[in-house]
Amino acid sequence: MIFNPLVLLLLLLSFVLQEFVPSVEMVFHSKLFLPAAFFFAAAVATSFPMMLVLAFVAGFIWDARFLPTPMVKEVNSPIILEAIGNDPMALAGGEISFGISIVLFALFGVLMQGIRPMFKRGRLELPVFMVGVATFGWLTVQYLIMTFIRGSFSFPQAVWMKMITASLLAMLVAPLLFLLLHGLARLMSHEIRYEGLSYNFNGR
Amino acid sequence: MKKLNILAILLFAVSVVAVFMMSTPTTRKVQEKVLAVFSPFIHASANVGDVVSGGVSGPPLNPQELAERNEHLRVEVQRLRIISEKYNQLVDENNQLRKVVGYRAASPFKLTAARVVKRSSATWWNTLLIDKGSLDGIGTDSPVITDQGLVGKTGKLAPHMTEVILLTDEMCRVSSRVEGTLVEQGVLSGERAGLDTIPNLHLRFLNRDAPISVGANVYSSGQGGVFPANLLLGRVIRFQNRDISGEALVKPAVDFATLDHVFVIEMQEILQ
Repeated sequence: MIFNPLVLLLLLLSFVLQEFVPSVEMVFHSKLFLPAAFFFAAAVATSFPMMLVLAFVAGFIWDARFLPTPMVKEVNSPIILEAIGNDPMALAGGEISFGISIVLFALFGVLMQGIRPMFKRGRLELPVFMVGVATFGWLTVQYLIMTFIRGSFSFPQAVWMKMITASLLAMLVAPLLFLLLHGLARLMSHEIRYEGLSYNFNGR
Repeated sequence: MKKLNILAILLFAVSVVAVFMMSTPTTRKVQEKVLAVFSPFIHASANVGDVVSGGVSGPPLNPQELAERNEHLRVEVQRLRIISEKYNQLVDENNQLRKVVGYRAASPFKLTAARVVKRSSATWWNTLLIDKGSLDGIGTDSPVITDQGLVGKTGKLAPHMTEVILLTDEMCRVSSRVEGTLVEQGVLSGERAGLDTIPNLHLRFLNRDAPISVGANVYSSGQGGVFPANLLLGRVIRFQNRDISGEALVKPAVDFATLDHVFVIEMQEILQ
């Protein structure tokens, strides 16, 4: 029972550790996004309701810490300025909404839940690979939403490089996170059970 | 599907809708609270970074060299203090003359010096953190400059930390004018994601076939309501005609990779 609060605590700790993670300068300042990687790993190890709780906490703190505040946009048209009553705050916002990361984490958390049976059996190859896939998907969707809101489609090579590097770094750290979660479950005598689709063989 | 899962989905959906419905001031407040909670760790990580980079940057300067440098800086401070005094007198005199001829007095401004703590860990946004915050008299959406030109503007505030959105971010738009032309004005913004070390800026909504020469300085026009006029933004490196308007590619005046100290401009009310 204490396993779930401990996972939540570790998620909060990952946000603190994120501040100490250096960036890789030669790859456009790419870096490991530890809270995201930890969430995707924890999404495999926890039940569906707990995964949603983790998605909410991770997404909320991520947006609160890293999403820029709604900004005032400068205009150079006297007509527009007059229309908004010379109040630059009237044009604030228009960026990614606060809370979008909660939805994205939940979506990719559901994806990760699909490989729980493998994790339960102690197989880590696919879960580790999927942490990379989920990180890549999360960054891609975030970038696409930003592109959609700002208009004009642009996907420079640097963006690909940054997403791929971040995903590879997440995959690199994923085995450690899975081992940590397995160890924690063993220590707390917590059984990581698969509670989704089930099939009972009755011998016939 | 289990009843517990359905209940969890419903609760999750309600919570997400509640978060999406939060107003801009509430969002800012939440972000500032979270930044305040994380600021001790950000300072600690910056200190760790300083120790690591200090360890590999070679031995410290010898005492004699430091004393000479200190003496040189002391003289420089005195010189600048005299210039600052003279400048304030000129502003007062200018405002008195403006009053005589019926012009609105120019707003005085306060400069707050701040040290760059670290570059942000965000995914797609170009920001950095400075060591001055709301308790140091800094407000949101205030211009941030260096002696080279405009750096960006302030965003989230903690008591002793502020996030600065860099000019190289696509979100940071500045109403600008091109030196050497009378009417050429446009909106300057950074590149999407701005992942290059020194990304170029785009000056859009210029007139087609505008007489803009390569190397011309680009300044803030002061019309947008956020940035004061005549802050140097960069230099034109190329001009091209787009479908309905002209666009200039601008090299930023500030070297964002080597920023150590910046100044935050706070416009002040005019005392009558």
